[in-house]
Amino acid sequence: MYFDSLTYNFPSNNNEKQSVMDKSLQREINLARNIQSQLLNGKTPTFEGGEVSGSSLPARLIGGDYYDFYLLVNGNIRIVIGDVMGKGIPAAMLMILTRGAFRSAAESTIGPGETLTAMNQALYEDLRTLKSFVTLFCADWDPKTGRLTYANAGHNLPLFIKGKSNSIEELPNVKGIMVGGLPNQLYKENHVYLEETDTIFFYTDGIIEAQNKKGERYKLERLIQTLIKNKDLAVGEIEKSVINSIYLFTEDVPQKDDITMVLLKISQQKVDITSLNSPVLG
Amino acid sequence: MGLMIEKDIQGTTTIFKLKGILDISTVNVIDRLLDETSEIKTLIYDFSELEFLDSTGIGSIINSIYLSQERKFYLKLVGMNELTDELFETVGVYRILEVIQREVI
Repeated sequence: MYFDSLTYNFPSNNNEKQSVMDKSLQREINLARNIQSQLLNGKTPTFEGGEVSGSSLPARLIGGDYYDFYLLVNGNIRIVIGDVMGKGIPAAMLMILTRGAFRSAAESTIGPGETLTAMNQALYEDLRTLKSFVTLFCADWDPKTGRLTYANAGHNLPLFIKGKSNSIEELPNVKGIMVGGLPNQLYKENHVYLEETDTIFFYTDGIIEAQNKKGERYKLERLIQTLIKNKDLAVGEIEKSVINSIYLFTEDVPQKDDITMVLLKISQQKVDITSLNSPVLG
Repeated sequence: MGLMIEKDIQGTTTIFKLKGILDISTVNVIDRLLDETSEIKTLIYDFSELEFLDSTGIGSIINSIYLSQERKFYLKLVGMNELTDELFETVGVYRILEVIQREVI
């Protein structure tokens, strides 16, 4: 048993003891929230020719959704979005574990399929022991060619907003099961080419499952309408428009699930990445 | 709304008919029922009256799949609506069921 008498000096009265423990727990939860918030909402890469942005709103103090960007040595950007089973503190702990696995795998793997394979290898035993799983979608964007290569581990497909034709559709399918479902999984890849004004909208299901007072869900159709209406805005403004639209729909109904989205928008093909929240190699 | 499970035993086959919502607030109902149920040869989950399930609900179904491997029983999933079917397909529930049940058989 771990005991640290420097941290807790328990009063003899039971109510006082409870109150001290409650305050201490609250403080620790707030610290955990700050840690998660800083890890999630760190610096986003800025570059010529396009923009990326991500945001996450936990349903509780902390949550189990995850997104990240990683600059690869070849100049490509690796993007990941994920959803850990469950909510609150247990999901948040596994989210941190997932982040570590991604950062480690991103550095040593050549493509998104291999990244997911490595993450499943790393996390499978722990996730099965804890009876949990993570859905993940991982994509590499090559700014030189405009090619977006991606692989899927049980996550919903991102939306492909075609700037020129004014249409929105899901990215072409690529199958793969959740991380933590089965050992030794090989994740296949698929790809599309992005043109100027195209946008990719990665998201977690908390968006389309948000409920209003009548118990109706926000659904994919409303999300598509919101994206069509705001597709010409900058990525940060598109994010705000989606969040505002969800708030307007749900009114005062408390958020039940974590809400996370990542946007990648292309403005021109020649790209020079200038900063990122991951170590720059090479 | 919570979750109600109608348990029907037909010989060595046990059927759990799920009614309502299978989420973080109700999954323990399934876990409790599985703990209480012994001597299963075939377990059928009937989702025809299930209104919603979240990731914790999916986790509970996956745990049942792994339990079928441990306790050596057949597991079948029936009555999924279009949304649940699509969700199971996306996250990989059917693939896990197929692999684990192959080992059970």
